[in-house]
Amino acid sequence: MSEITRRPTIASSVAAAVAVLVAVLAAGSQAASALGFAAVGGLVFVVGLALGRHRAVDVGALVVLFGVVAGGLEATAVEPTIVAAVATVVAWDLAHGAIALGDQLGRGAETRRLEAVRVSSSLLVGLASGTVGYAVYVFGGSGQPVAAVTLLLVAAVLIVVGFGGGRTGSTRRRRTRP
Amino acid sequence: MNGRRLALALGLAAFVAAVAVLIGVLDVGFSRTALVVVGLVAIAIGLRALFAREPPRSVDTPDPERSTVVPTPGATLHGAIDAFRTSETRYSVTGRRTVEGLRAATIAVLSRFDGNDEETARRRLETGEWTDDEVAAAFLSESLEVPRSARDWVADTVRGTSRFRTGVRRAVAAIEDIADGGDGGDGSLPRYDPREGASAVDGDRRHRTATSAVEGTERRCERATGYWRGVGVLALVAVGVGVVAESPAVVLAGVVGVGYAGFSRAFDPPEPELSIERELSDPDPAPGDEIEVSVTIANESDGFVPDLRIVDGVPAGMAVTEGASRLGTALRPGEDVVLEYTVSVGRGSHEFDPVLAIVGDLSRSTEREYLIGAPTTVVCEPELRPIAAPVPLRTAGTSFSGRLQTSDGGAGTTFHSVREYRKGDALSRVDWNRRAKTGELTTLQFHEERAARVVVLVDARRDAYLAPDPDAVHAVDRSVVGAGRIAATLLADGDTVGLAGIGAIPGAEDAEPCWLPPASGRHHEVRFAELLATHPQFSANPPTGEGRWLWQLRGLRRRLSTGTQIVMLTPLCDYVSAEIARRLDARGYPVTVVSPDPTADETAGQRLARVGRAVRRFDLQRAGIPVVDWPAAEAIDAVFARRAAGDRR
Repeated sequence: MSEITRRPTIASSVAAAVAVLVAVLAAGSQAASALGFAAVGGLVFVVGLALGRHRAVDVGALVVLFGVVAGGLEATAVEPTIVAAVATVVAWDLAHGAIALGDQLGRGAETRRLEAVRVSSSLLVGLASGTVGYAVYVFGGSGQPVAAVTLLLVAAVLIVVGFGGGRTGSTRRRRTRP
Repeated sequence: MNGRRLALALGLAAFVAAVAVLIGVLDVGFSRTALVVVGLVAIAIGLRALFAREPPRSVDTPDPERSTVVPTPGATLHGAIDAFRTSETRYSVTGRRTVEGLRAATIAVLSRFDGNDEETARRRLETGEWTDDEVAAAFLSESLEVPRSARDWVADTVRGTSRFRTGVRRAVAAIEDIADGGDGGDGSLPRYDPREGASAVDGDRRHRTATSAVEGTERRCERATGYWRGVGVLALVAVGVGVVAESPAVVLAGVVGVGYAGFSRAFDPPEPELSIERELSDPDPAPGDEIEVSVTIANESDGFVPDLRIVDGVPAGMAVTEGASRLGTALRPGEDVVLEYTVSVGRGSHEFDPVLAIVGDLSRSTEREYLIGAPTTVVCEPELRPIAAPVPLRTAGTSFSGRLQTSDGGAGTTFHSVREYRKGDALSRVDWNRRAKTGELTTLQFHEERAARVVVLVDARRDAYLAPDPDAVHAVDRSVVGAGRIAATLLADGDTVGLAGIGAIPGAEDAEPCWLPPASGRHHEVRFAELLATHPQFSANPPTGEGRWLWQLRGLRRRLSTGTQIVMLTPLCDYVSAEIARRLDARGYPVTVVSPDPTADETAGQRLARVGRAVRRFDLQRAGIPVVDWPAAEAIDAVFARRAAGDRR
């Protein structure tokens, strides 16, 4: 009787590793310190993914993101930072997805189709929001009025709070138990 | 929720206003300080929530792929020791209790296998002359001191074993040595493994998708996975930092995060209408066969199901050998997907449990668990193949002629005795040689050959569901297979055979235990096989209840007719099994015990359980009940053949 291999699924893991590599390179293209942070974070991330640890993936992604932000602060061009941010979130998403899927269904199960849907939806959302942000930035021109930026920020805060992403306690926690 | 909606609406309004300002339609005066304040607020909210983040929760899925796990005899040391405790051992604290139990075990083996009476055994135990092992002798004696050098102490400390543990291990090894007749195998020490309470059977739940049948689709629960929790927070931090530091790149990185936060709340999992059809390559397999299962899952609804995870409810008596009974996929409306895997089927009647379906939305932030009933039943009847060697029956038969040699003298082929001639004796049986030599007229007697009436009794109490290792075939399964083959052998010899079971009946405590009155013929044979496969008492899963064996035994005794023999299949791992055999035998039904051996020899508890079984076997044999030991590695043919050869010698 073979045991179920409860390791992260392969397709998502590979996609996550590629995404984190993109994030590291894009962030690292901005500044040397950013490259350092992102590389260390990427390493932690990949090891955490290989071992199937949610926490390690979280920490790794956070360090990569720190690198991305550090790079962004020193950057003159915004594009690499946007790409790096999208890649980081996609990598983080896919890594957790791979670990959870491996946990629930095991590596032996056929999951490629589900993983394909996940990769594309995650990528699409990132690209779409990145594009919208970029468009506003470009069309707003370089001389942004302080009022506009402040209003955008207020909008971001309220939308995040409105979506509930900023809260810890979700209202929809397990309703019934058999 | 209202507050949230308000925040969302205001946020969108602010966004529109910002765009308006950017285009130049609107003109609002804000100072840089306001910007920094808002940025700091964003960072604060973000950090507060970040520290409360937990990893995403995912649903734990059960492992229906594995077959039933049953405990090993002597899984706990206390359980194994308690089997030796008699009424005279009083209640005492744990450590003392272990020693008392081991003392009782030593006396038990000394009085059985070393030819001592109880008094001598007690004395030898006290003086320590029962074993060569000084440590074991001193451990169980009240008057002896444990010999212990400084070197031992260092060695014990380094290895992390305590004096008590070493004592237990060595005492158990010494006891086993006596029970094995002094030639004590490899003389290795058992492991001390007090996994008290952590039994191998961790509930039915882990191995089944659901414990009760489900009709149609039943929603079990819905939960938020908290998958994206933290993304919005990080977005806020990034936006805040970006604004404070006046870096557009970082602000835009934050905007990406806001996009994901919105994504996480934008969807609800679809309400799926799934239809499930299961097909088997062979609906009527033999035990041990591998069959292919193909499950077709179709999306009958009009909506796209972006995230569907399926765990098929493989019954406990089956084990997946190839492929996986799990699937992760996405289904468009009207689309279907096929899940294929191979299982090996054990004996019994197996019904597939409901399929567990986990449906998520596109952003995986909400999951719903569904159970979808798709019952398929596989009945796997044991093969009734006769055994080459004869079944070791007792010498008692019915009044019909047959092939069982009884102990009564009469007509037959095997010499029994000589007696004085009586009028009416057949001339062919007169001993003419003796007549010629001495002039006496004597009659030869032969063993009468009659048909036996046998009831095969299977011990399927919960305590009989035991196996040497968790994945091995358990004793009840072996008993049932053995019962089928014994019945086939006896039926082929012209004997009449019946079937009875003792043990809890899952689902219905008051239901009738298995009973098939002794008969013969093809029709009877088919019913016999059917009952072995389908009667709930012989289920491949251990029952949850105890069952009332005394009551069942009384019912069985009322049904047995005089002169019926019992062949009882039991692992003999507890006191009740031996008691059943003894009671039936005492009531005049000659009992033969065939005992599949489920014991292991890894830990101290397991070895003690094995010694306990040897003691029980010995006691039964001393009471005149033959016991055929059936080791786990051997086929029943070999065991019976050896028995037959041993009888001839």
